[in-house]
Amino acid sequence: MLQIFRRLWAVNWAEQWQYRANLLMYLLFWLVSPIVYLAVWTTVARSQGNVNGLTANDFAAYYMILLVVDVLTSQITIHVLAPEIQNGTLANRLLLPAHPVLTQVLVNNIAFKALNLIALVPIWLVLYALFQPTLNLNLLHVLLAVPALVLAFGILFLLGSALTLVAFWTTRVWALWNFYSAVFMLFAGHFVPLALLPPALQTLAKILPFSYTLYFPIQLILGKLSAADVAFSFGMQVVWLGLAYLIFHVLWRAGVRQFSAVGA
Amino acid sequence: MNILRIVGAFIKLNVQIALAYRSEALVQILLNLMWLGWELTSLAIIFSNTTELGGWGPAELIALLGVWRLVNTLMSIIVWPNTEKFNQGLRDGSLDYTFLQPANSQFLVSVSRIELWRLPDFIIALALILVGLAHSGRITSALNIISFLALMVSGFAVLYSLWIVMISITFWFTKFDNNVTILAALLDAGRFPAQVYPFWLRLLITFVIPIAVATTVPLQALRGDLAWWEIVGFLALGAASVLISSRLWKAGVRRYSGASA
Repeated sequence: MLQIFRRLWAVNWAEQWQYRANLLMYLLFWLVSPIVYLAVWTTVARSQGNVNGLTANDFAAYYMILLVVDVLTSQITIHVLAPEIQNGTLANRLLLPAHPVLTQVLVNNIAFKALNLIALVPIWLVLYALFQPTLNLNLLHVLLAVPALVLAFGILFLLGSALTLVAFWTTRVWALWNFYSAVFMLFAGHFVPLALLPPALQTLAKILPFSYTLYFPIQLILGKLSAADVAFSFGMQVVWLGLAYLIFHVLWRAGVRQFSAVGA
Repeated sequence: MNILRIVGAFIKLNVQIALAYRSEALVQILLNLMWLGWELTSLAIIFSNTTELGGWGPAELIALLGVWRLVNTLMSIIVWPNTEKFNQGLRDGSLDYTFLQPANSQFLVSVSRIELWRLPDFIIALALILVGLAHSGRITSALNIISFLALMVSGFAVLYSLWIVMISITFWFTKFDNNVTILAALLDAGRFPAQVYPFWLRLLITFVIPIAVATTVPLQALRGDLAWWEIVGFLALGAASVLISSRLWKAGVRRYSGASA
């Protein structure tokens, strides 16, 4: 199994490396909205001193960490897998004795992530110099964040894959993805640190998986959570990882059974 | 008029294309309404935490959302679909046929694809502008309204010219098929008033990739925030950018040698 992953890594790394110019453009696209929201919230915080106790510096620190967490936990499965389902090339992969999504697509995601991370370093440093947030990081919190980030990526990868599998039944999978992204932006803490959401939406955010994949790791790194909060959030991550796997597994089994490639 | 006949032909062709994808239209409209809901929710959340954003009240931000959506709609109706066609044509050489036609090539490249199903977005955008203005409580003079409309047109002309510049650059750097990404990416920044952004970002979206010229600036004129010379300056910028971009386009076309050559 390790052998398989090692070979897949070599192939996927080389493949992603080919598209490094595209990657910069992708990063640019992805950077704009966090910076816009950072600017919006710091403006609000400056004009009235703070927003619900959050100062301009708190927002800057929050979004600077968000940039890193988002790269580490996000996934691009739909871009990789949906075309393969739709044009039938998935058929070749189904013949291989390894799960195509949990090997090939997974490694492709990780290679993309690794390259993204390298490109992010200089950009992050420039933004750090521009916004100059005070970050009080402590080693324990950063170390605790490692398992949180792994679990977060696991959840998002499985949810994203499950969503992509809907392509087995309909060509409208991109519309669904659009909708998913909107829900994610609101409830993961992308648009606003979740403490500023109206109470009803906050409750919903506590139930949905998204806050545990972005807001929780950010707050953990920033050292804003009590021990009880941390334990609860880790618990929720495990629960959602299990649920996401279940959804993915059921959809995969049903999807592959009814999949018929063009020409078959 | 020759130009009108060409536009007529393009519209007829694109109506036929659009009619072939009717259910797609419904999906697009639903998605658009979903994003509208998202955008209004996000404004509601911002204003549940504050009373003004960079000197702009909630109603004015709704109007700005409308203006931003209007720009976005124009981009989706003509600019993005034609970019796709242009890049495709440059890669496979079908652009040759465009240049062979006895009409202005910049014009042909700009309007040959029209995404008609996005037209309902116009109604939403206009409704947002009107509702926002009605609630903003500022009584605007006729002169302000005229400068608002003029600046909207010239702002879009600036963005369109920038687009022409970007695709013209592809004549020199054929591999540059990400030519419009930076424009598409920064468009998102137009949803909020430029005054909100840090100085470097404000410079970027006002002068380098001038999204703000088509979104914040017209509304500022409507609010009466702009001096007459600023309005004239922005209008001159619009006219100048159209001239410069068409020059560059012509230079690019002379460089073009077809995909096979």
